[in-house]
Amino acid sequence: MAEASQIPMPVPAPRVNRMLDAVVARGPALAAVAGLLLLWQGVVWFFEVPEYMAPSPVAVLNAFQENAGTLWLNFWPTFFEAALGFVAGNLVAIALAVWFVHNTTAERAFFPIAVFINTIPIIALAPVLVLIFGNGFAPKIIIAGLICFFPTLVNMVRGLKAVSPATLDLMRVLSASNWEIFWKVRLQSSLPFLFAALKIASTTCVIGAIVAEWIGSNFGLGALIIEATFNFRSPLLYATVFTAALLAVVMFALVSFAEAKLIRWKTSDVH
Amino acid sequence: MAAAELHTAAGNPAASPDPGAIRVENVDVTFGEGTVVALKDVSVDIPQGAFVTILGPSGCGKSTLMRAIADLVPAARGVIDVQGQTPRDARRDRNFSYVFQDATLLPWRTALENVGLPLEVGGGGDAHADPRDLLALVGLKGREDAMPHELSGGMRQRVAIARALVTKPKILLMDEPFGALDEITRDKLNEEVLRIWRETGTTILFVTHSIPEAAFLGEYVLMLAAHPGRVKEFMKVELPPERRLADRDTLEFVQITAHLRKLLEEC
Repeated sequence: MAEASQIPMPVPAPRVNRMLDAVVARGPALAAVAGLLLLWQGVVWFFEVPEYMAPSPVAVLNAFQENAGTLWLNFWPTFFEAALGFVAGNLVAIALAVWFVHNTTAERAFFPIAVFINTIPIIALAPVLVLIFGNGFAPKIIIAGLICFFPTLVNMVRGLKAVSPATLDLMRVLSASNWEIFWKVRLQSSLPFLFAALKIASTTCVIGAIVAEWIGSNFGLGALIIEATFNFRSPLLYATVFTAALLAVVMFALVSFAEAKLIRWKTSDVH
Repeated sequence: MAAAELHTAAGNPAASPDPGAIRVENVDVTFGEGTVVALKDVSVDIPQGAFVTILGPSGCGKSTLMRAIADLVPAARGVIDVQGQTPRDARRDRNFSYVFQDATLLPWRTALENVGLPLEVGGGGDAHADPRDLLALVGLKGREDAMPHELSGGMRQRVAIARALVTKPKILLMDEPFGALDEITRDKLNEEVLRIWRETGTTILFVTHSIPEAAFLGEYVLMLAAHPGRVKEFMKVELPPERRLADRDTLEFVQITAHLRKLLEEC
């Protein structure tokens, strides 16, 4: 024991330590993914599933390598449509929510219409917009925006109204103007609600862009999905699907990052 | 016996020659277009610099009276005069501050930023104290940058008191500020409120439903009766102004609380 205490313990660098901790923490998830991939490969190999029906993980990985250029080229239009739709749809939703909170008549007039638009299946709306706006970027951006719009509108209205009556009393005693109440209280207290909606929107806007590309497009991941399917290029189809999922994950991560930067408080004091 | 030691000031508002801090005259407050009478014919004069606790059974309109003085509810009848002004003008001139039962801190602001809030809205007012000094006054030196969720319930209420003092109000309206706190925290804050009152000279109206709290804090106790809310008694508490928690075990104090309890049962 005395000898052991004299030997200096190797202290790993903090950075390495942290990475190791991260790997250990994610260990079960990584193991599960590896296991599923192995199972997939095993099933395809054991039952001799033809490649056009269901390609093996190895075949998909090869497709990624062979079609890297094509995937990259089609990634950007979809990213562009999803991101622009995300920004436009959410901005309109936030602006409407602000209007609704300050004008009950406006809320009563337009909220039912917003609900109605939300009930139209996006896949049914896509051809209509393609007919109006043609084959370019516009209908894709609009559909990506529409799909973001409703959850953000509903959440933002709730968030702007989620101010305790006591806090409003306080602002009244302080003779605060409506603008000050909006800017200093309502907007801040709506942020957690807004980000809950933005997280949903960050992945659905990618779905919107891809669905719009299915209806009429010769570019983007949606168009590539259709093309790969019709030509029985299953490994490419799978690779495209994974690329689309990756895009959604990137969008989600960006929103989560912004949330962590902007909201550094907890609502323990409110109610 | 206890009553003999109490000087009853009800019906004798002209006792002091200088103008009162708050004058309430024949005030009715009703809700639901007159169907619910919360306050009926309430009259009271609060002397300048006094510490008045408002006590009464639930539903007697304690909070409603405070809210009427603070221009949060309108009086259906009668006159309310706050530092010679209507409640609305007094509010705009920042002549009073209000401390709620909830600390109502903005959770995204630090303690210091919360204390400074009154200076940022509603024109900010003319007079103002240094938020840092006020946090020190309420015993929160060194916690300036703490977020509300990092503070205990008692600390949050301390921040709320500091925020109320930042505009240097002539009147402090405290609406059951310690009602949600445990007794130990409450006792400590009671002593501190007395200290702050002596140091600032502010007129304080303090709503409570605790008899010992009302007697310990108040120079005067305003007792309200319920259904409808009306003045039962406005009386001076005959205790020395310098009070310590231990004073609550003295015979004089117990006699006063016994008297208040008897009055409360009659309400």
